[in-house]
Amino acid sequence: MTSIFEEQMLALLPKLRRLARSLARDAADADDLCQQAVERALKARAQWQEGTRLDAWMYRIMRNLWIDETRARTRRAITFVPEEDGVNVGDDGETAAENHVAAGEIDRAMSSLPDEQREVIALVLVEGLAYREAADILDIPIGTLTSRLVRGRQALLRKLEAAA
Amino acid sequence: MTIDEEMLVAYADDELDELTRARVERAVAESPALRVRLELHQNLRTRIAAHYGPVTDEPVPAHLAALLRPEKPEATVIPFPARAKSSRIPAWSGFAAVAASLAVGMVAGQMVLPGNKNVAEHRGILVARGPLADALDEQLASNQAGASIRIGISFRNTAGEFCRTYNTQALSGIACKGELGWQLPVTKSAQTRSAGKTYRQAGSADEWIMTAAAGMMRGEPLDALEEKTAREKHWQ
Repeated sequence: MTSIFEEQMLALLPKLRRLARSLARDAADADDLCQQAVERALKARAQWQEGTRLDAWMYRIMRNLWIDETRARTRRAITFVPEEDGVNVGDDGETAAENHVAAGEIDRAMSSLPDEQREVIALVLVEGLAYREAADILDIPIGTLTSRLVRGRQALLRKLEAAA
Repeated sequence: MTIDEEMLVAYADDELDELTRARVERAVAESPALRVRLELHQNLRTRIAAHYGPVTDEPVPAHLAALLRPEKPEATVIPFPARAKSSRIPAWSGFAAVAASLAVGMVAGQMVLPGNKNVAEHRGILVARGPLADALDEQLASNQAGASIRIGISFRNTAGEFCRTYNTQALSGIACKGELGWQLPVTKSAQTRSAGKTYRQAGSADEWIMTAAAGMMRGEPLDALEEKTAREKHWQ
């Protein structure tokens, strides 16, 4: 028998994968992020209270993991090689080609956003959360959320217009 | 009063109270520049939602699901989460009757459909014509026995326009009643059809369109009575 927790988590996986895809660099990184989030949630399941929103709790876990990973990657990149030079190390040609095809202009525009704008766009435009819900997940005042959202939207419009 | 970008964005995201909405609508009605800006933000929302939405259609990788189902590690397919809105969505087997292999999602007039009797391109925007336009005008989701074009749900988008999900043999998507008639902001093309009289179920097309619809929708889908009233008012 699976518990309510596992059942709800299973039902949530498609949405978690969608959020991860809008945060991470590519599909492989996104599923890694998803896996880490599920593993962390299983460890911390005692902290989730039945009857409260599992999705908001999971979004928060995933977002925090993503921020940790992004910061660690930035540190590594600064210490060793510029990120552009490092990105495709270890890829075989096929993977690189797939990534290239998969990276549409929206993916490129999203990944060019500063993290603080990207996470806001991901929660509001991709996951469809209300401003209040997104601000709670990110632990920021709603005014901060709306100003990041406006700047993120403006940046996306500029990039997509430039790409069109 | 002046309408700043933040207010336009909040309008597009359906975050304003009724009074402020009305103010924005008045200002937009008087200013073509504001209207263009608002449409950019509305289209951006639709486009982003439609781009990432299909991820929820993909089968969840087995190793992910297995983390939550240790006793059945082979399981790869999981049910989609029940939608809060599903009680208002009619059981429209027709919409699931899309062709099996769906290719090429697209948004806002980037696809050309030569010779398609249902779709035309107008100033760079895809619009419905012919049988599809007729079905969108007339057909009620509650009464479409024998119709070859199926209508799914009807709803208002964040711009206040009426929108309806549809599928024809070759296409499924969302149509919204705008200045040019039934504009087609979200379209999915069926590349191949199953042979024979019956279509194979292509539930992923439903889910894809429904995700896009959820991103565009203000409030709930129309119920049967509201749908009928909207038709009588010509979806204005």
